Amino acid sequence: MTGFVVRMAWREMRASWVRLLFFFVCVAIGVAAIILLRSVVQQVRTTLTREARSLVGADLVVQTTRGWTADVRERLSEEFGNAVLDTTEVVETQTMAATPEGRGTGVVRMVELRGIESKFPFYGTLELEGGQRYSHDLVKGFGALAQPEFLVEMGLRVGDELLLAGRPFTLRGVVTRDRVQRAGGIAFGPRIYVDLADLRTTSLIGYGSRATHEILARVNDTDIEPLTERLRRAFRRDVVMVRSWRNLEDRLGRNLTIAENYLSLVGFAIVVLGGIGVWSVTRVLVQQKIRSVAILKCVGATASQVLATYVLQVLWLASAGGLLGLVLAVAGAAAIPASMLKSFSITSVGVTFSAALQGIAVGILVSLLFALVPLLEVRRVKPLLLLRADTATTARRRDWRSWLAAVATTAALALVAIWQAGSVRAGLYVSGGLLVMAAALFLVSHLLVRVSRPLARSPKFALRHAILSLGRPGNQTRVILMAVGLGCFFVLGIRAVQANLIHELTVEVGRNSPDFVLIDIQPDQVAGVTEAITPFARETPRVMPLLRARVVGVDGRRVQLANAEAVRQQGRMTREYGLTFRDAIQTNERLLAGQFWTGSLTTAKTADGFDTEVSIEQEVHDEAHVDVGDVMRFDVAGRPLSARVTSIRKVTWDESHNGGFIFVLRPGPAVERVPHAFVGFLEVQPGPDARVGFQRALVKGYPNVSAIDIREVVRSIREVVDNVTLGITVVGVVMLIGGALILMGAVAMTKFQRLYDAAIYRTLGASTRKLAAMVLVEYGVLGALAGILGAAGAGVLSWLLARYLFEIEWRPAPVLLIAGVLLTALVVSVVGLIASADVLVRKPLRTLRGE
Amino acid sequence: MSKTVTSGGSPLTILHPTSFHIAKGRAVAITGPSGSGKSTLLGLIAGLDAPTTGRISLEGVDITRLSEEQLARLRGERIGIVFQFFHLLPSLTAYENILVPMEIAGVRDAGSRARALLDDVGLGNRGHHYPSQLSGGEQQRVAIARALANDPPIVLADEPTGNLDSVTGRQVIDLLVSINRTRGRTLLLVTHDAELAAFADETIALRDGRVVT
Repeated sequence: MTGFVVRMAWREMRASWVRLLFFFVCVAIGVAAIILLRSVVQQVRTTLTREARSLVGADLVVQTTRGWTADVRERLSEEFGNAVLDTTEVVETQTMAATPEGRGTGVVRMVELRGIESKFPFYGTLELEGGQRYSHDLVKGFGALAQPEFLVEMGLRVGDELLLAGRPFTLRGVVTRDRVQRAGGIAFGPRIYVDLADLRTTSLIGYGSRATHEILARVNDTDIEPLTERLRRAFRRDVVMVRSWRNLEDRLGRNLTIAENYLSLVGFAIVVLGGIGVWSVTRVLVQQKIRSVAILKCVGATASQVLATYVLQVLWLASAGGLLGLVLAVAGAAAIPASMLKSFSITSVGVTFSAALQGIAVGILVSLLFALVPLLEVRRVKPLLLLRADTATTARRRDWRSWLAAVATTAALALVAIWQAGSVRAGLYVSGGLLVMAAALFLVSHLLVRVSRPLARSPKFALRHAILSLGRPGNQTRVILMAVGLGCFFVLGIRAVQANLIHELTVEVGRNSPDFVLIDIQPDQVAGVTEAITPFARETPRVMPLLRARVVGVDGRRVQLANAEAVRQQGRMTREYGLTFRDAIQTNERLLAGQFWTGSLTTAKTADGFDTEVSIEQEVHDEAHVDVGDVMRFDVAGRPLSARVTSIRKVTWDESHNGGFIFVLRPGPAVERVPHAFVGFLEVQPGPDARVGFQRALVKGYPNVSAIDIREVVRSIREVVDNVTLGITVVGVVMLIGGALILMGAVAMTKFQRLYDAAIYRTLGASTRKLAAMVLVEYGVLGALAGILGAAGAGVLSWLLARYLFEIEWRPAPVLLIAGVLLTALVVSVVGLIASADVLVRKPLRTLRGE
Repeated sequence: MSKTVTSGGSPLTILHPTSFHIAKGRAVAITGPSGSGKSTLLGLIAGLDAPTTGRISLEGVDITRLSEEQLARLRGERIGIVFQFFHLLPSLTAYENILVPMEIAGVRDAGSRARALLDDVGLGNRGHHYPSQLSGGEQQRVAIARALANDPPIVLADEPTGNLDSVTGRQVIDLLVSINRTRGRTLLLVTHDAELAAFADETIALRDGRVVT
């Protein structure tokens, strides 16, 4: 019996493999997507976790933004004890880099400075251009090492001089590969290495400046974790952070597992799309094989033998599809440009064994599941139809076995989704989403056939018959709507989200936004800086005080946080905030509760004995439950500051030309006594001369002051958005290609019916042109409906993401969505026409003779 | 036995209660005009359909009590069927079409038997051809060889010459006659062909679902 099943399956497949080519292409695309996406993430994880130690550059790093006080240093050395074998110090800060007058391109730009000592780094090394070996001597004595793009931008070469914080440094090498990650936050420019001793001689590490001080330690492997814990406990009240390469490894591992599972779900969605194709092919295949099934039953084959024959065929085809998918994934991996991989710290992608195994397994499983329901129909084929043709159309009602199979298939698909997502919730969400989507598409297709029915009375022949074709027996309307609609939904959805994000960013750099933010202006420099930059400004620059502080306690009605540890545990106000003090509310702020003070405090304390008053942003009220009347305690550069909350404001962040501050303090003796710098907001006059001139003037007179080019920051964010969009669009396009393939397959599957119809039409006098018009209109209508469905879904998706994920104002993108609908209609009509070419050119007599 | 179906919501008897016995090794022709119930009767005897009332016994086995699976097995081993439209599997060669019933029944040495059957029907050199590459007469001869594959004691034929010209029809008649006469198989033929009916040992004539002779 088994022998018969195997031989029969082989013979059947041998005869119809060309027709089934489409089947394994569907499987292959999905499998390739899973294998490729998983492989990339697995490789990134392996590389990053393997090199976690070189990414940190040490076993353990202790860092602060406050500078090392004698007290902290002493306690650190006590805690280090014998566990720490060696230490070295690093300081990271930002500054403006310029070329000496008349040299290079004359550009002034912000850079990330990293001051290092001779032992840096403990692990890994800096790779320099031209095979030059890194040694600390290269930076010693005002030497500098920079990245190649910086040199190009500044028009510099090795050996040239550049000005950092107003001091001349000599470029002694070009860093081509730098594994050691920065301490945190956003990078404001290219990195430049200098000697820490030289950096200390500049004005950049003054009190209150934006520098991160790090102590890198080499520690015995067994001591890393206990020491990390010990240090964290010992310094929990200080602004000191402790991290080890093991933490980084854990964090990376966790994040990448999430990424891997998320991308696998994307792959799974593509496989499901392929599965719809498989379902469609199998359904038509069964219809075409009904007579063969009846013959087999007539010559003694049982229903289970026949079913096994076709299941085996599906298994082989799915395996072939899986292997083709593997080949596609290997080719795809080789085709990924190295520049795209660079940002993931890998140079090339190879397909991993486990990803290949998983991809093929999912492909086979999904194919079997999708093929099973239509295949069960073979059980119901009666051999009597060979004697009486009318038996073939016996009741198409589904029996309990078919329903059971459908339910089991859905449950099994959900299990595959859970497996791929690595999470029950995510897996259920995705399969639930797909189910809802499928149900919606199913209903819409029914509705479509019904709504379009009146058009069948149109005087236009092509339109009339196109509409009738949508509802013809064995039509593929639902399949096409589902496949193309889903592809369209992904592509348009992501594009709509991107349009919203880009619009938001454009608003940010619009009329009201400053061009530059000046940071680290010392109190005694405020007048000078304002004077130096005013000639280049469109309006008088706004300069305001900036305190860097942490919340270390709240004594409130709804919330009681006794110390920094309690604040950390609450988890709502753990970051370091930029605070300002002023005596009036700004135009981009609206008072929601309480009273904003008038004028500065004249006494050292408020009437109720606190240092000052504070106005909080609505976010703190909503999320951390701080209210008017509560008392907040801040740690400003190591000094305590207490303030009673007297008002709640809402800041319109879009119009943050006056700066957006979560906490605003009431000016007064206590506030003005704590260390603070100033921050300036500036709109320069139009034209590149003003931009360059202003930066040069600033660098010359105030080398410690940094100017952050907002447009550049926005550009970097935009690049990130573009990259993410590109990635997701690629997925959407793959889905659309899958949809087009399914469409072609669906058209091909109804070819037999169409050939007959076309032959009759031709006999009755229809020209090829008329037939082509019918096909075009039919697929045009179908494409437009799939497009409308996808566009509607895309609109909802972009609204949800804008509202709940990005928390930005949602704007419909009508031009994009309408263009998407039209383009989909066009693509579907053309694909339909191409796939029907055979039907249009075939001689009618051949069909009618049954050749 | 009888057969009643539902047509347009009301019952329609296509075979009225009828009873007959066919002895082993006989050749019987079932004749009658179109719609008289010939093919229905053949389908019932082949176990392709179930009678509404009564029972059908083949070599002592009441086939109306068998399940679909048992009926399939019975057809594979005890009954060979030849159709008017040949009904060969289009994706298989002539040789493979003959192999199929033997493979299903798990017959050993099926290959050499299939080749011998091809020789018997005069198509020894056409075994590798697909049905679409064979003439109607050749296809019907392959179908006869397939019906004989498991050496069944009963052969049923539904209008075996109905789709053939007179010359090829004659070749097919000769083959069927030899099956009955030289191999001793019981032969039940549904036919309009008077020449073919003339070879039968006896004739059952049907009209409007009733046996008239």
